[in-house]
Formats: sequence, C-alpha cells, structure tokens
Amino acid sequence: MNNECVSEALGDYTLVRLRGEVDLSWSQQVRRTILDALGANGRVGVELSEVSYIDSSGIAALVEGLQNAKAKGKQFALVAVSKAVMAVLQLARLDRVFTIFPDLDAARSA
Amino acid sequence: MNAAPRGLAAAPDGLDDRRALAFLAELSQALALSIDLNKTLAMALGRIAQFMQAEAASMFLVDPASGLIECRQCVGPVNITGLKVQSGQGIVGRAVAENTTQIVRDAQTDSRVNVRVDAETGFITRSIICVPLTTAEGPIGAIEVINRVGGGLFEPADAELLRTIAAPAALAVNNARLVESLVEQQRIRRELDLARRVQKSLLPKRRRDKFPLIGINLPAHEISGDFYDYFDLPDGRIAFVIGDISGKGLDAAFLMVRVASLLRWVGKEGTTPARWLERANAELCQTLREGRFVCALVGQYDRVARSVVFASAGFPPALLQDDGGFREYPADGPPLGVLPDVGYGEQRVELGRSALYFFSDGATDARRADASRIDSTGLRELIVRHLSLAPEPRLRALIGDLKQLDLVDDTTILLLQEPRGANAQTLLDLQFPAHAAQMRSVRARLRETLDEQAVGPEMRDQLVLAVDEACTNIIRHAYCQAIDCGGTDETISLLLTRERDMLVFELRDEAPPVDPGKITARDLGECRPGGLGVPFIRTLMDEWELQPGPGGNGNILRMRKRLQASGTGDTE
Repeated sequence: MNNECVSEALGDYTLVRLRGEVDLSWSQQVRRTILDALGANGRVGVELSEVSYIDSSGIAALVEGLQNAKAKGKQFALVAVSKAVMAVLQLARLDRVFTIFPDLDAARSA
Repeated sequence: MNAAPRGLAAAPDGLDDRRALAFLAELSQALALSIDLNKTLAMALGRIAQFMQAEAASMFLVDPASGLIECRQCVGPVNITGLKVQSGQGIVGRAVAENTTQIVRDAQTDSRVNVRVDAETGFITRSIICVPLTTAEGPIGAIEVINRVGGGLFEPADAELLRTIAAPAALAVNNARLVESLVEQQRIRRELDLARRVQKSLLPKRRRDKFPLIGINLPAHEISGDFYDYFDLPDGRIAFVIGDISGKGLDAAFLMVRVASLLRWVGKEGTTPARWLERANAELCQTLREGRFVCALVGQYDRVARSVVFASAGFPPALLQDDGGFREYPADGPPLGVLPDVGYGEQRVELGRSALYFFSDGATDARRADASRIDSTGLRELIVRHLSLAPEPRLRALIGDLKQLDLVDDTTILLLQEPRGANAQTLLDLQFPAHAAQMRSVRARLRETLDEQAVGPEMRDQLVLAVDEACTNIIRHAYCQAIDCGGTDETISLLLTRERDMLVFELRDEAPPVDPGKITARDLGECRPGGLGVPFIRTLMDEWELQPGPGGNGNILRMRKRLQASGTGDTE
C-alpha cells in the first residue's frame, strides 16, 4: 500500500484521505495537509480506514489538527478509523479525545 | 704496612691543613670509587695509620644483629680482627656508645683502657685516639689509632684530624650497607612476586563461554590468604568454593594452598555442600595448628534448574540481589578447623535472573577516607550503583570502587549470575542508515521476524511501534537530524534476540552519548502533539535501559519484553 494523503472537498465538508503507513518520513506532509484543510471553510474529517500503521509523529499531526480546529471553533473528526490506528490512539489515551465516526455518511450527517 | 701515597709524605708534626685536605680528598675518592669495600677499607686504614703516624690502627663496626662492636680491619703489629667488645666498654665501646671522640694520653694509667690484649700479645699501648663512625642514624662503628710513631703523645688536634678523616669512611660503610639491604629487599620482593604468581595460577581461569561464575581476588599484600575455585561436576552441575584463611602473610598464603586443594579434592566427589564442609573440617581439625581456622563457603549450581545450594563455615553472609532488593544468607556453622564433630546446614536458592554475591570480609572491611568500615550496607550501595551493568563489568566496577577505598585485608568476591543472553538466539541483526525513509522496510522485516516467533498480531504491532519510536528518537534527537535530511552515513543497528520467553531489542548508534536522565516522558492522555515516543516505549516494553556504547562511543538502548506477559502490553 503506497502512502497517500489527499484532500477532497465535499461541499462544506473537507475530507483528508490518508493511506499507507504514517511515519516520521512524511508525517510533516500529513500535518500540512490537515492544517490546510482547516484553513478552508467548513468541517474537516480525516479518513483513516486504509492506514495500516501510524507512529507518534502521525498521531501528533492529528492532535495538532484537533487543537487548531478547536481554536477556530470548527468541527474536526476522525472517520473510519482502522484497527491499527485505533490501537495507537487507545495506547495514547486519545481515543476519547477525538470525535470518531464509523464512516463518511455518519460524519457528514452529524 | 702500605706505602705512603705518592706526593704524600708523613706529616712531620701535628696539623698541616693543606696536607690534611689533600689526604682527605684522596681518601674520599678512593672510598667513593670502591668496588670491593673491604679491600678499600683495609687500604684506607693503612693510609690513615701512616698519615696519623700511628703504630697501629683498627676499624670496628657494630653488628646490627648482636649489637656487639667487632674489629673488621686492622693494621699494625698485632692482628685483632674479629675482636668483639660490648657497647660502652673500653675506649671503642665508649666512643660508639657516647658518639664521642676518646683520647688516651697515657694508656697504662687510664682505667678506660682494656690492657688484656697487651698482656696477651706483649704490645704496649701508650696513647690512643678513637673516633666514632657517625651516620644520620647514629654511630655504626669506630676508628682507633694507637701509639704515635717515635713515642710522642697524641694531641687534641690529632683527634680532630682523625674525626675529619673518619667521615668519608663512615659514609662509605653506610652506603655499602644500604646497597646490601636494598639488594636483599629486592631479592625478597622477587621471591614474593614469584609466590604471588604461583598463588594466582592456582585460582581458576576466567571462563568466557557465558559462564555464570566470576571471581576476583585482591591481595592486601603481595600474597593472599583468600581463594576461590570452581569446577564442573560429572553430572553437569558447577561446584564452587570461596575461602579466607585466618591471619595474613606468608603462613596464611601457604595454608591457603593446602586448604584450596583439600576443598577441591573433597568437592570433586559431588557430595552435598554440608557433607563437603564436614569432611574438610574433620581433616583440618586434625592438622591445623593451634589458633588457625578457615572460613569457607562451598556450593553447587544447577544451570538447568537455575538452582543453587550452598553451605557456609563461618563465611560472611552470602548476598542475593534481585528485583526485590537484597537478602542475606548467614553462615550455617563455625569456621573449619575449630570443632571436630560439627554439622553444617545448607541453603537453597532459586537463582533465576538474580545475582548471588559471596565476598570475604576484606570487602566489607574496606575503609572510607574517615577510616569507617563500609560494611554490608556500603557494599550494597556499590552494587546498586552498577546494577545496569552486565555481571562481569559490574564486578569490575565494584572492584574498581573498592580499590578507591582503603583495603586493609585480602578481598575476594565471587559472583554467581546467569549472564544475560546466555542462551539467547539471534532473530534479527540489521544495520541501516539512520533515516526516517528507512523505517518502513525495517518495520516490515521486524513484523516478519515477530510473526515467525508466533507473537500475536496485537503484540507484534505494539513491539514494532516501540522499536520504530526508538529509532525515530535516535534519528531526531541523538543524531539531531532534520526530518527530510538524507544522504548521511549515520547508521543504526538493530539486534533482536530471544532467550526463552524474553525478547531483547538492542539498538546501537554512533551519536554523541545521550544522558538518560535528560530523556523526558510526558504523561499519556495529555492532549498535545509530540513527546509520545518515550511513553509508548515505556508502556509497551517490560523494561528499557540506555547506556553509552563501548569506549563511550555512541549509545546502546536495550528494551525487553516477556512474551508470557499479558498480550495487551498494557502493564498499568
């Protein structure tokens, strides 16, 4: 699975799709993409179903996104979190800090 | 009698300063250049007699052993070589005892003069000067001149002259004696050194094959009354001995040789440690001299069961150190060689991964700068100080610390501990460039390896995460790399080993040493980006340690995980 990080505008919802193994080698790119998405109008979600691995620098990018959204009073959610990512979120005790939706529909209709 | 030195005629009368000075210079030089002191002294005495215009002259030296003053050289009509006088008796005895010049103007009426020699030889003593041979440590003998040639009397000025001449002679004799004692000391030192080497050769050779026993013996002097030994038993167990002979020095060292052989001989039979001590005790009670005894501890270690059984005859308490701290095992009976029919108890310890220290009382008797004993407490502190080290470097560090203190007695330590990784199997040995882009393939290799070990997928992912976090910390913090910097020749080595159910992940780098105390870890659950790597490692691994690499180059990070532990790795 190749690493991929793309931002998709779905009306008032911006979805950042992550794929692959998020680690130090490109987590800065992930961070930038998330912060850019939060710069646009509307809500932001990060889709994680295809993420097979995430390290602490990847988690840090998500945390920074959450903090940035809160400061702007925007909604920020994690969508379709893979088992691998959930394990690390739980390890970091962050699984209850993020708003998490099982899929994109649930996220958009929330 | 020797001929007068060329150009040096006998002084006609009394003192002639210039001539005396020339004579003194010549005499001093002859003595200083002397190879055979006795020959030179004989010649010098002849010249002194001639210069002083004396019929006879003699040189007496104090025998340090008997305190008697003996005539070692003489010139004149009567040979009195070998004549001995007591200090304080007669003219010579007084000169030495009082360290003063003695002048006798009329010997026949002077009560100080011993006229016995005259009576025996027919020589008539008329006039005498006797001066002590003086050194910084006091008189070592005397020079005596008798009867002025031609019948005149010796004057006080003659005494002054003789005293001046005696000085270089005293110096020469003293130097010769110092050289002699130095040669003797060197001979003794050489022999002690030889004895020390022979004794050291009796101690067992250090075994390198991850052997669980290491011993170190530090003699307080050249030779030691302490010893240790270990050897294999036919059934695969390892037998060991540590002992301390009462007393110090040569006799204790000789006895050590005998006791060490005896204990080895009895121990080879593989009897129980208690029986082993009882048999050695029976023998030693028959043969040890009064007041001698031997403190000893003997035991057997079963490597398969990791179980040790030992018995102690008056030896200082064995010290077991494990995760829970220290435990002492006191002696099971009196020292060997004291009570013939005594029985000994035994102690059994399941060693596991713990360390068992046996040490002679020299270790706890080590003195601090204020002369206080370090005791068992101080020894424990030293052990704790080096806890992170493997057994062998730990024992060396411990001995290094003890050497900084004042060791008043022979000091011996025997350490029983399974070396880490004694049966370790290497699962993965990787070296890769210290670059974030490398980590994906490293993780893949690691997952593969852990799958082969049938580690569950959940724990596998956790271990991969912990190793990845450790590597990225090395890249970012030890090598201080910018994240996107490539093309450096900095590397990281990853060694994964397994011993039974213990996985050990060892990461080595060549970065400047990192101070483990400066590694901070945030609390999990704190919502901020960054700083999660160390808490992940701490949570996911059972233990981890960071230490400098060999020679202080680079860092070694070791992380351990026991596979039996709960599968979640969440140890809180």
